[in-house]
Amino acid sequence: MSNESQFVTHDERIAAMLLHYEVERFYYDEAALLDSHRYDEWLALFSYDAHYFMPIRRTRTQREMDKEFTKPGEMAFFNDDKMLLAGRVAKLKTGRSWAEDPPSRTRHLITNVRIVKDDGRTLEVESNFHVYRTRLNSEETSWIGSRRDLLRRADGSFQVADRKIFLEQTVLLSRNLSNFF
Amino acid sequence: MSFETAQIDDLVSLERGEIDRRIYTDRAIFELEMERIFARSWLFLCHDSQIREPGDFFQAVMGRDNVLVVRQKDGSIKAMLNTCAHRGNAVCRAEEGNAKSFLCTYHGWSYGIDGRLNGVPGLNTFYKGELDKSRHGLTQVAQVGNYRGFIFGTHDASAPPLEEFLGTTGRLGLDTIALRGEMEVVPGIQKFVIECNWKIAVDNLFDWYHPQITHASAFLPSVLPSTSMREQKAAEKIDLNGVTMQSGAGLDLPGNGIIGSKFDQVVVLGEYGHAIGGPTTSSSGFFEFDPSWRETPRAKAALGSVGCKVGGHPNIFPTTWATAALPQLSLRIPRDPTHTEIWWFTLVDRNLPRETRDFMVTTACRIFGPAGVLEQDDGENWAQATAQTRGIASRRMKHLLNMGLGRGQIIKEGGLARIEGLTSEYGQLWTYYSWAQWMKGLSWNELKKATTPGDCI
Repeated sequence: MSNESQFVTHDERIAAMLLHYEVERFYYDEAALLDSHRYDEWLALFSYDAHYFMPIRRTRTQREMDKEFTKPGEMAFFNDDKMLLAGRVAKLKTGRSWAEDPPSRTRHLITNVRIVKDDGRTLEVESNFHVYRTRLNSEETSWIGSRRDLLRRADGSFQVADRKIFLEQTVLLSRNLSNFF
Repeated sequence: MSFETAQIDDLVSLERGEIDRRIYTDRAIFELEMERIFARSWLFLCHDSQIREPGDFFQAVMGRDNVLVVRQKDGSIKAMLNTCAHRGNAVCRAEEGNAKSFLCTYHGWSYGIDGRLNGVPGLNTFYKGELDKSRHGLTQVAQVGNYRGFIFGTHDASAPPLEEFLGTTGRLGLDTIALRGEMEVVPGIQKFVIECNWKIAVDNLFDWYHPQITHASAFLPSVLPSTSMREQKAAEKIDLNGVTMQSGAGLDLPGNGIIGSKFDQVVVLGEYGHAIGGPTTSSSGFFEFDPSWRETPRAKAALGSVGCKVGGHPNIFPTTWATAALPQLSLRIPRDPTHTEIWWFTLVDRNLPRETRDFMVTTACRIFGPAGVLEQDDGENWAQATAQTRGIASRRMKHLLNMGLGRGQIIKEGGLARIEGLTSEYGQLWTYYSWAQWMKGLSWNELKKATTPGDCI
C-alpha cells in the first residue's frame, strides 16, 4: 500500500512507526483537550497562520463527484483563521454562549491515521473522526468524517497549519456546530 | 380539531398580541398549512445564477413537493415535480448539477430536461403502443416567475403574478439584494435542521429585542469583524431594569451597535403577509457591508424616498428572508411541525474584486449558518421554545407579542405602510395575523383585502 513499500530498511520502518506514534499521540492529546473543555490549550496547537475549513458537501451524481465539496473561496460551514478560532474560544468563555451553556458533553474518537506526505518540515495527515455529542437531557448528535491536516514540526511536536474537515452529511442533521473538530 | 374561521381567529389575536401555542406543534394545523399556505403561495426556488447552462438544475422544495428547477435550451426556466408519472419514484436524486435527461431508475422512463416523456421501455412490446407519452410528462409547477434573478414558483394556477404578489414591500425586500450589482450565488448552500416550528424561525427575523441577550457572547471584537457599526460610539444603553444573571449579578452588556442599544426602527407591513422590520438606514443599529449601492441612481429610483430609509430584515411571506447585510437569503423550510430546514444562499456582485468577494464569503460563514457566531445560539432558543409547547399546561399559555401594542400608527406613503419607533413586535404580529388569514382559505381577492394594513396595530 501507500508508504510501506518505501521503507525498505529496518531502521526506516522503525522511524516511520515512531513518527506515526508521535502523530497519534498529538491527536489523542488534542482530543482530550477538547473533551475536557481546555480550549486555550487546544488553540495553542494551531499555527498563527492556520486555516480551519469545513466545506459544504452536496449529493451529486457520480459523474460530478469533483464538485461534491465546496472549495476555499466558496461557502463553507467553517472558514476560520486563527483569530476567529480564538474568538470562538473567547465566546465560549463569556458565560453567555447559550448553545454551550450548559456545556455539551463530547467525545472525540480519532482513528485511521495515515501520514500521506512528509517533506521533512510539514506532514500531510489524514484521519477519521467520530465526534459524539449529547446536550441537555435528550439531544444526541453524531458526526463522523475525515480530516486532512497539514502538521508543521515545531518544538519537538506539531502545530496544525491547515485543517480540512469533511463530514459524512450534506444537509447537516444538527441544529448547530458549536463544537470543534 | 376542525378549522372554522372563528377558531382560526382564536389562534392569533391581533387585539391582545397573543398566539395560541398549539400552532407550533399541532399536526392537523401543520397539514392545513401545507394545503392553504404552501400549496398556494409563491415560494422561492433558487437564483438565476445557480442554473446558468442548459440542463443545469437545482432541487428546491415547495411544501413537501421536491421540485427540479431546470435551465432550458432556449434560456427559459422550467420547474417540475421530481416524481415519475408512472409509479412516483424520484427522477433525480442529486441536489444540484447538470443533466441531459432525467431517468427514473425504477422502470426506466426517461424525461427530457423540459419534462417531456421521451422514453418508455417496452412501449410497443408491453404497452402495445397504447401509452400516450404526451400525457405523462413530469408535472410542471403551475406558475414560475423571475423577479430580478430570484426565481419563485407557485402550485396555484390562479395565484396573482409574482410581482403583484410581492407588492411594494416584497419587491423592496428583494431589491435590497438585487440592486447591489450583478448578483450571483456563491457555490455552496448551507442546509441544516433545527427542531423547531418554522414560524418560530420566521418570526425571529423581525425580532430586534433578542440580539442583546441571545447573541451576547458574539459581540466581542475578535468574533464579529470590525464594521462601521462597531466604530460608532456606543449608542444609548437600553434600560435593563434590574435584570440579573442566574448568579445574581446584574446583567452587564457590551454597548456597541445593535447590542444593548436603542435606535430608530421602521417596520413595513405588506399585503399577503410580507413585512420588513429593523433599523432605519440612518440609525446606529444599521449594518450593511458597503451600503454605497444605495446612492446609485438606479437604486434611488427603485427604493423611493421611503424605501431608502428601510434597513431592516424583509420576509417574503411565508418563508423567505432576504437580508441585505452581506447580502444573503435564508429559507425556513417546514419538514414537520417541529422540524425546520434552514437554507442559506449567499450572493455577491460578480464584478467585485477577488479580495472583497473573499472577505464577504468568509464573513457570511462566520456570522450565519450552523457554525455562525450569531446563528449557533438561535437554534437553542427556537428548539426550546417549540419543545415547551408540548405540555398540556404549558400549551394553555399564550405566546406574547404585545410590545407596543395599540401604539403602532401606520403611515402610508410611497406605496408602503410603515410604523416608526423603537424595537417592537409589529413585524411578528403582522406575520401571524396574515398567517391566520391564509389559513382561512380565502380567495386571492379576499386574502389581499384581509392583509391590507389598516391605520393602527
